[in-house]
Amino acid sequence: MNAIEIKGLTKNFKEKQALCGLDMTVPVGAIYGFIGENGSGKSTTEKIICGLIQKSSGSVKLFGKEHTDPDIRARLGVLIEAPGCFSNMSVWNNMMLQAANLDIHNAEQEVVKVLKLVRMEGAAGNKYKNCSLGMKQRIGIAMALLGNPTLLVLDEPINGLDADGMRIMREVLINIAKSGTTVVISSHILGELEKIATHYGIIRNGKMIKEMTAAELNADCRTYVALQTKDLSRTKAILSCKYSRVEEDEAGYIRVFDTVTPEEIVSYLYENGIVIKEIGTAKIGLEEYYIDLMEGK
Amino acid sequence: MNIKFERYTFGKRMKSMLKVDFRRMFTAKLFYIMLGISFVVPILILVMTTMMDGSVSVNPQTGEETVMEAFDSTWQIIGTVNSKAASTDTTAISMDMMIMCNINLLYFGLAALVCIFTSADFRSGYAKNLFTVRAKKTDYVISKTLTCTLGGGLLILGFFIGTMLGGAIAGLPFEMVGFNADNLMMCLLAKMLLIAVFVPIYLLMSVIAKQKLWLSLLLSLMTGMFLFMMIPMLSPLNATGMNVLLCVVGGIVIGTGLGAISNQVLKKTSLV
Repeated sequence: MNAIEIKGLTKNFKEKQALCGLDMTVPVGAIYGFIGENGSGKSTTEKIICGLIQKSSGSVKLFGKEHTDPDIRARLGVLIEAPGCFSNMSVWNNMMLQAANLDIHNAEQEVVKVLKLVRMEGAAGNKYKNCSLGMKQRIGIAMALLGNPTLLVLDEPINGLDADGMRIMREVLINIAKSGTTVVISSHILGELEKIATHYGIIRNGKMIKEMTAAELNADCRTYVALQTKDLSRTKAILSCKYSRVEEDEAGYIRVFDTVTPEEIVSYLYENGIVIKEIGTAKIGLEEYYIDLMEGK
Repeated sequence: MNIKFERYTFGKRMKSMLKVDFRRMFTAKLFYIMLGISFVVPILILVMTTMMDGSVSVNPQTGEETVMEAFDSTWQIIGTVNSKAASTDTTAISMDMMIMCNINLLYFGLAALVCIFTSADFRSGYAKNLFTVRAKKTDYVISKTLTCTLGGGLLILGFFIGTMLGGAIAGLPFEMVGFNADNLMMCLLAKMLLIAVFVPIYLLMSVIAKQKLWLSLLLSLMTGMFLFMMIPMLSPLNATGMNVLLCVVGGIVIGTGLGAISNQVLKKTSLV
């Protein structure tokens, strides 16, 4: 059984079609990295899953049942855009209100537990409006974690978090996924996502263009030879004569993507009178993979 | 992997929803401010009008003189006695003024309470937390209606206590002419039950307007104005069980009908 199974999902707004036949499958227990450009339909999909906006057509099933099933919806934890908190209320009171909403019996202990998880126990007495952006994000995540949800939907949860906040979030998400909770997380910080996601879905213009596991991504991410010389433009021109895909990156390295070893490149460039300063092999990360995919490479 | 989900029954859902709304309503400053106003307003009206009784003000442009008249009885601020003679009497117009300046004004205050209370859910984004775990929008509508009705009922009670105190301070008579204590109780009960007629109207306007508080207030006050004259007619000082029954029926019919519309509005529109 899949935690989320979406088939042919469409959503039409007045001016545009936000989703056009989106298919999505999230296995139970996965940390699903949901990636796409701004306006590609990530948030719209997540809002439909959570019942905040209505779909135009298609089917959305959570754990094999309709996404409108009250029994399933009661087990959802959500952080979409900003956390829904009353600004004049304290963090504690906001959390207690959500605990009441979820009908949690031992509310106080549960609130303390989730605040501790996101290292926010010290800020419980603060008014929500006085919290920083990073603190608000952590509160939002703590709120989503209340009541041990079976499915956690997080939209850009690491935005505004500092390095320590990101590390904490990573630990929290990995631990709750281990306990069987399925996590759907959309983020633009792909480097962070790469560290935790077990599955990926890449969306473009309201359509899922690729879904894969972390292992498949790893296999898909090609290795390349990176090198640096004194005359980059000449080197690039020479290499381009022999190899089909030669690129210069922002850091001033030339990348050769063909199936080739550094030794072959060294001897080829030596024959052409080019002295190599540095050479090695590397693998493209999720960010580069995503950019390549978007650019159709 | 087979995951079992606990049955989330209507009773369970309502219990948690009511818990949230009661916690919010009865810990909010807004409610206590409104309650304070409901308590103080009758005291101010009764004391000040008594102090100014008989004073004459002259319009400097026309030279027209206006004599200020105080309430003859404390109960006039709660309502008027319905009688067939009143409609043919020449004082009917002045009685209408009394109708405007009494407890019935609370129904406008109620509009503010319902609109501010409901729109805060949407403005703060708390609606997201609510509706994510709440597939049934009916829970929200029922809970809001019950909470606001209870809140409104307490405002009526506050006004009544303020009236007693104001009447005593102003030295106005508590004589019951044309009605008795039972009628007075029925009158207050009818007024409290009428809250259940107005709350669904204001709630519908609030869910239509969502984040736009100004719009919900505007729509609520406009619709409230149309129904305003119904209040003194249905809850006079000499109210009987029939008046109470009418208000109960009205509350149930309007509450159910408009509640269903509010439910549909929430279901068919985006909540964020």
